[in-house]
Amino acid sequence: MKSSRAIYLEVGGILAAVFTALLCGFIVILFTSSEPFTAISALLLDPLSSTFNIGTILNKAVPLILTGLALSVVFQSGVFSMGAEGQLYIGAFVGALAGVYLPVMSPWIHMPLVLICAMIGGALYGAIPGLLKAYLNASEIVTTLMLNFVAILTTSYFVNNQFKAANGGGYARMENISKDILLPKLFPGMNAHAGILIALLAVVVVYLLMYKTSIGYELRLVGKNGHFARYGGIATRKVIVVSVMISGGIAGLAGIVEILGIHQTFKENFSASLGFDGIIIALLARNHPIGVLIAALFYAYIQVGAQTMQFGSDMPREVAVIIQVMLVLLVSAQAIFTYLKQRYAKTGQKAVK
Amino acid sequence: MVWQTIWGQIVDLSLFAVLLRLMTPILLAALGGLISDIGGVINIGLEGLMLMSAFTSIAVGSSTGSWVVGVLAGVGVSMLVSYGMGFFSLKMKVDIIITGFAVNIFGSGFTIFLMSKIYGLTGNYSPSGAPRIPLVKIPFIEDVPVLGKLLSGHSLMVWIAVLSVFFCLFLIYKTPYGVHLRSVGEAPYAAQSLGIPIKRIQYSALAWSGAFAGLAGAFMSNGLTNMFVKDMTAGTGFLALAVVLLGNRNPIGILIGSIIFGLASALATIVQTVPNSPIPSQFIQMIPYVVTILALVFFALQNKRRLATLA
Repeated sequence: MKSSRAIYLEVGGILAAVFTALLCGFIVILFTSSEPFTAISALLLDPLSSTFNIGTILNKAVPLILTGLALSVVFQSGVFSMGAEGQLYIGAFVGALAGVYLPVMSPWIHMPLVLICAMIGGALYGAIPGLLKAYLNASEIVTTLMLNFVAILTTSYFVNNQFKAANGGGYARMENISKDILLPKLFPGMNAHAGILIALLAVVVVYLLMYKTSIGYELRLVGKNGHFARYGGIATRKVIVVSVMISGGIAGLAGIVEILGIHQTFKENFSASLGFDGIIIALLARNHPIGVLIAALFYAYIQVGAQTMQFGSDMPREVAVIIQVMLVLLVSAQAIFTYLKQRYAKTGQKAVK
Repeated sequence: MVWQTIWGQIVDLSLFAVLLRLMTPILLAALGGLISDIGGVINIGLEGLMLMSAFTSIAVGSSTGSWVVGVLAGVGVSMLVSYGMGFFSLKMKVDIIITGFAVNIFGSGFTIFLMSKIYGLTGNYSPSGAPRIPLVKIPFIEDVPVLGKLLSGHSLMVWIAVLSVFFCLFLIYKTPYGVHLRSVGEAPYAAQSLGIPIKRIQYSALAWSGAFAGLAGAFMSNGLTNMFVKDMTAGTGFLALAVVLLGNRNPIGILIGSIIFGLASALATIVQTVPNSPIPSQFIQMIPYVVTILALVFFALQNKRRLATLA
């Protein structure tokens, strides 16, 4: 276990990285905007200026928390899956099918059923690269990337043909999902939907799973040192498949929550790379569930800030990309953290492991 | 009706021309991916590099009026960013996958940012009269019925791409640099103990991948379309990455892989243009991805068998 000093050092390093990334964004704004201070204040302060914006932050954070959790699980087992995007599509698609085509029943049964269908869909789709990795050692980076395209194209085919809504107005989408199983708004007058509760619950469940159960322990051990784990009697292959399936299930949940909360039906290409944003979240959070929650809220905040900045100043919202990229690079820069630790050790303090 | 259309295009060789056009960016980017992969620094940032080069190439090309300057600028920017990748992954010890991933996000966002800041546009930038990479018309052969259509009238970049395959073969297998590159990728510590400067070789491998991805991107804006559209690469960089693996990490294999991918895109394009086609274009577009996965499984099975016979 890490000592509390090491944790402080790590948190401090991450905060420094966040600060530096923001600084890089500000510098670019200073150089390219004719009203830099309006732009920066719109970026930093406007997201909190109205309940509508706060609701938007929460809504944007929901899929990020879920895909971030999905990827943090699979990354912890040492598998570098990029497949959350595809699993999210399959999960959302299967869940939406269950939402539209199951016979009429009580929403108290129907809604959980829809969520479970989505998770099973995502998990089974995740099993494919998992099995290929565990038993054939096929690079998961390539298989998951390819399976993303397959998932997007397959669902696009079905909502353009068999499952196309008759009244879709020319859009490729499914029939509308019945109103009583859509996620309700949390508070009247605020646009935040109940998905945030599901996301928070998922954070707790993943935390317990990863740190309080034997499968979580085995999973992390395989990620830290596969050979050691195998000699220790852990069925590494099974653990890898299980971790990819759990991850796929959570990604599927992310997809259906987005459908039930925002879109109200399955639409072609609805995700716009939520699965890839999840990779950033997992990286920023260092794969820790609590970190995922914080990182996703921060990331959603920056996204909403970028939007309010686009409305309120002459800066396009893509400036936020600079902040995102610097964040990813600086937080994952091992050299900085090693350097910090060495400095810390040299100043006469007790050496930190 | 689809089959008639496809057959008609095969007979009059226009399918072949479309195939060459669509194959070229995949092939160039994949050659870039190959060199970095051989050097042990897998570059998944090809997509972002291509986008940055595509934007720079058309922006510089249209403002200077010269496609050569445009393409060179695109390649230059792409190489510069890949040096940046080297800085972060080799010096700052960021995982090379994460670095590449960051480059992809950066390429997509930053080109849109520049387009909106410089030209005030959000979707696409199509300067009128921007110079194009010229088509190569071969005298005499041009007039020979079949041969003319096969060989003449293609973009210069198509030829550069094909020649690059031979260049890479030579570079990887016939030069001392190639030997160093392969040894760094295979066994970095062994290479280091022989006095090969690993990091310098890896920087250069990334630079090569930047150069080829740059050519691919420049061709997409200055050759294929004569405009820049946001996210115009639309996964070509990922296709190229798949081709690197499909091609079994050698230039000829990569040529074959690019042809398969190019053919699938060409067929999907044709099927999409036929009204009420009985073949869904989505499934044709899916072919390369499925082929890649199958090829990966095939190689993995072969590896497993080889290891089993060794044991």
